Amino acid sequence: MLEVINVSKVYDDGTRALNNVSFTVEDGEFLVLIGLSGSGKSTMLRCINRLIDPTEGRILYNGQDITNADPRELRQIRRQIGMVFQHFNLVKRSSVLRNVLSGRLGYTNTLSSVLGLWSAEDKQKAMENLRLVGIENKANNRADELSGGQQQRVGIARAMMQEPTLMLADEPVASLDPALADSVMRYFEKLNQERGTSVICSLHVLGLARRYATRIIALKAGEVVYNGDPDLIDDVRFREIYGDEAVEHSLR
Amino acid sequence: MAIEPLTPEQVVKKTVKSDEPTKPTPEPTLSAKRLIGLALLLALMTWAYRAAQVEPQLLWENRDKAVPIITDLLTPSLLTRGEETQQVVVRVEAPCETSTGPVVEAGSGAQITLSSNCLNPGDSLTVSGSGLRPDTGGRLYWQHPNAQGRLRDERFRTDANGNFTVDTDIPQLLEDLGGGETELQTILSWESGRLRASDALTETFHAIIETIFLALMATTLGSLIAIPISFLAARNIMPRTPLGNAVYGLTRTALNITRSVEPLILATIFAIWVSFGPFAGVLALSVSTIANIGKLFSEAAESIDDGPLEAIRSTGGNELEVVWFGVVPQIIPPYLSFMIYYWDINVRMSTIIGFVGGGGIGLALSHWINQTQWNNAATAVWAIVIVVFAMDYISAIVRERLI
Amino acid sequence: MSNPAALAALFSLILPGAGQIRSGHRSRGLIILVITLIIVGLVLWLNLSPASWLGLAVAWAANVWDAWLIAGGQRPKTALLALALALPIYVIGWQVTNIDLVRFFTSANRAAPVVRGLLRPDFFAREIDYGIAGNDFYLPCPAPADAESSAAPNGATVTISQNCGLPGETVQLTGQGFDPNQTLQLWWTNPVGAESRVRIFGEFEPFQVDENGGFQTEITVPNQRYEADNPRAHSLELRYIASQSSYQVTENARLVASRIGETIAQALMATFVGALLAMPFSLFGARNLMAGNPALKVLYYISRTVMNVLRSVEPLIMAIVFVVWVGLGPFAGVLALTMHTIAALGKLYSESIESIDVGPIEAIRATGANQFQIIAYGVLPQVIPPWIAFTVFRWDINVRMSTIIGFVGGGGIGFLLAQWIRLSEYRAAGAAIWAIAVVVIILDLISARVRERLI
Repeated sequence: MLEVINVSKVYDDGTRALNNVSFTVEDGEFLVLIGLSGSGKSTMLRCINRLIDPTEGRILYNGQDITNADPRELRQIRRQIGMVFQHFNLVKRSSVLRNVLSGRLGYTNTLSSVLGLWSAEDKQKAMENLRLVGIENKANNRADELSGGQQQRVGIARAMMQEPTLMLADEPVASLDPALADSVMRYFEKLNQERGTSVICSLHVLGLARRYATRIIALKAGEVVYNGDPDLIDDVRFREIYGDEAVEHSLR
Repeated sequence: MAIEPLTPEQVVKKTVKSDEPTKPTPEPTLSAKRLIGLALLLALMTWAYRAAQVEPQLLWENRDKAVPIITDLLTPSLLTRGEETQQVVVRVEAPCETSTGPVVEAGSGAQITLSSNCLNPGDSLTVSGSGLRPDTGGRLYWQHPNAQGRLRDERFRTDANGNFTVDTDIPQLLEDLGGGETELQTILSWESGRLRASDALTETFHAIIETIFLALMATTLGSLIAIPISFLAARNIMPRTPLGNAVYGLTRTALNITRSVEPLILATIFAIWVSFGPFAGVLALSVSTIANIGKLFSEAAESIDDGPLEAIRSTGGNELEVVWFGVVPQIIPPYLSFMIYYWDINVRMSTIIGFVGGGGIGLALSHWINQTQWNNAATAVWAIVIVVFAMDYISAIVRERLI
Repeated sequence: MSNPAALAALFSLILPGAGQIRSGHRSRGLIILVITLIIVGLVLWLNLSPASWLGLAVAWAANVWDAWLIAGGQRPKTALLALALALPIYVIGWQVTNIDLVRFFTSANRAAPVVRGLLRPDFFAREIDYGIAGNDFYLPCPAPADAESSAAPNGATVTISQNCGLPGETVQLTGQGFDPNQTLQLWWTNPVGAESRVRIFGEFEPFQVDENGGFQTEITVPNQRYEADNPRAHSLELRYIASQSSYQVTENARLVASRIGETIAQALMATFVGALLAMPFSLFGARNLMAGNPALKVLYYISRTVMNVLRSVEPLIMAIVFVVWVGLGPFAGVLALTMHTIAALGKLYSESIESIDVGPIEAIRATGANQFQIIAYGVLPQVIPPWIAFTVFRWDINVRMSTIIGFVGGGGIGFLLAQWIRLSEYRAAGAAIWAIAVVVIILDLISARVRERLI
């Protein structure tokens, strides 16, 4: 269970990205964060694994305080939490396999990882995960030779290497063709339903959010403006979240 | 020669953005601002003209001086034929008391006759020979046992029958060296045999290889040291703590100051330190490489994509793993490309630092220039041109591949 | 032998790269072959030590291993192969360049005077007036009756235990009437007028007068030449600082300032003239302008080649020619820099012409303009900002270069610096080096600012 308690984040330039945000995520939930760009979705996700340090508030994961963890504890927590990024964040010049294996870094000691001495088990697991996302034949290609959809699947495979109990996904389909978006989202659904991994995913397309989410949290200017059932977002709520001029249709 | 802080491509990249429409340039008008600017430029140029003591007429007046050098530079010494010699040695005593008549000495099928067997400085002497190689140039030399070198005397040329006669004076130096028995050498020399590489060409070849290796060693050594330094001078890698900022600022400043010291000056210092030779050159170029490539490296490190770093941090990797898996793969291609670029630059530079004792082709070149052996100097100059040209070309191709 | 991997390895063992070529990796094999041949040639020709043979063996083995991996269908380890091939090259390089780390550390003291000079550049100095109390000292004995001793201006006197003697003898000096606690230096002047400091107890250190204004010390007569039957007067002097001025700009600093000006002027002149001459050249060297007919194309290739060749002749070498031609001095440097500037700027200029936007040119051509009008209205307005940036950048480079050219007689600060280094006047040289560094850094900043502005 993840508990977010009164979290605020003020950047050095004075921007208040999050303002007193609180919510909880039960195990096995598929939570989707929606909101305009700049509403604080990315900041919220990065506060959870502390790629960004929150200014105020606390975040607990399974009772353990993330916000006050020392670097060693933090790495322990991070390896339980996978993350997938909008721009995939692959090391473009490294091979797909090496990118996927880097998901095991939290479990491997530094020396052997730097020397490239991965255990046979890890390699096998990497190939399995690549098979799961359907690109095992690309394992030895350079990451930048792959298409966008394939790169994102590498990103997912990398996160799965951590055997996470919680998966964070920051706009995982925003850089993809709409036709591919659905197929990528299905991997998260599969992960959620077959392995019971909790998923927190930020999206800006409401249609996708409605299709996959078990619950939706909407952020606006750093504050939670909706927290509840996906099907209960009606026209009025929609305008509340996205502003008066928005029409759902234009957002697909 | 001077270290160019930016590669030409970088300047082009920074100044010409071909994909963006160029700002429309206003039509030139004769505004007051422009007039003042023009006047300032004129004044500046007048001052520069005087201060730099420009005298264009000298170019024309002294053209006679330039012609031989340029001719020699265009005809480098590449091939020579072997030299054969014929030599007859006459031993005489100088100074001595009284003459008892002429001396005749035979050797290698020829015969040399001296008009007197008693020589005193200032006396005139007639040397004649017969049975020598016909139509060949020759020269007389004095070789005194107390002197290291030999003293050059008259030149002569044999006639169609192999005879010659030449008059000369006895040099005072023989007495100054202590007198006694002196050798008078009659040496004929002529070219023969097959063409072979001239000494200048062999030496140039040797020296240019030394230069290439000198540049290679300096580039490698300098780059290896510059890699950790470049991390210290990269804004995105140094933590934003007071200590991090201080290290970053100090490293940057140190790099900037070192960069403004010419390699020629560094080479002068190192030539005093470890004495003349290629090692001094390696050290000087290493230091200048650290300063220049360190800056380029740190800029490359600053321009990497942060995404992968974030991804690796989110998997629970520690800072070392973040650098190894996120930073290193991204910086290898630009770093290698800069290293090759600097090898190229260092080859040029090592030709210069040779002039102050840095070894390599520059040392040979400065040697020949000091002795005004322009033919030999030309060999070195052309070798430099060819190697620089080739390195330029190869480095451009390799760098294109790497990016 | 049926195993393809073993066969390829055997091929590569006999001729490096052959196994790779046989497996279809032709360029890889050829690169390996060429590199090994070069290494073997160098090792044989330069007659190097066994270490390079060892390096060669490693490279050879790596090549065999690589052929085996490739032919066996395994992933080749290119990075390891490259390292193995580089190993003998570096071993050779180490020997060719006489790298000697021991000497680097053991002779560090030889660099000390240079570094000290660099750290204490001769910009400012105090003028010091010395007071002198002197005594004649005769080498050898006897001294004539009229041997002199002169009192210092403030009435201090020095008594000497004997006023004649031979080198190596010990002499007692007593003095009184000096200012209390004053520092004294002891100097010896021989009859020719050459001065040297005298060691006191083996040290050059100045010594102190006690609180009563007196002192007593013992010196050894220095090793000076003398003729046994001809006693000559040497002078033993005690010097002390009578007065000193405040810090003033030294003569050397003034010289540095004027020569730095000369260097800047040289660079200005060379950049200006070079830029003017590079402009027409760059038009001929721009592919997109010269694409019209074969004659223009020939012109393009000619001007490109001339610029390339000229660019690879170091300005230093050009300077040597011009020094002989027009004599020592800044003008020779200007000429050499101008030649190099034409080549370097010509290339950059023509590249910026090649990368311009063709749209406006098409538009102007469509109006029926001729070639010159196209250049004037379509090309020049687009290239002037980058041209200015390149030119300023070149000025910056030319200042650096002109300091180098001075070393072979091209005038400017470099000429002065080379002289001082040859005379071992490191403090003066230090002043010149610092001045160059300051000017270079300032120009760097200016040219960076100008370039930024013009983007």
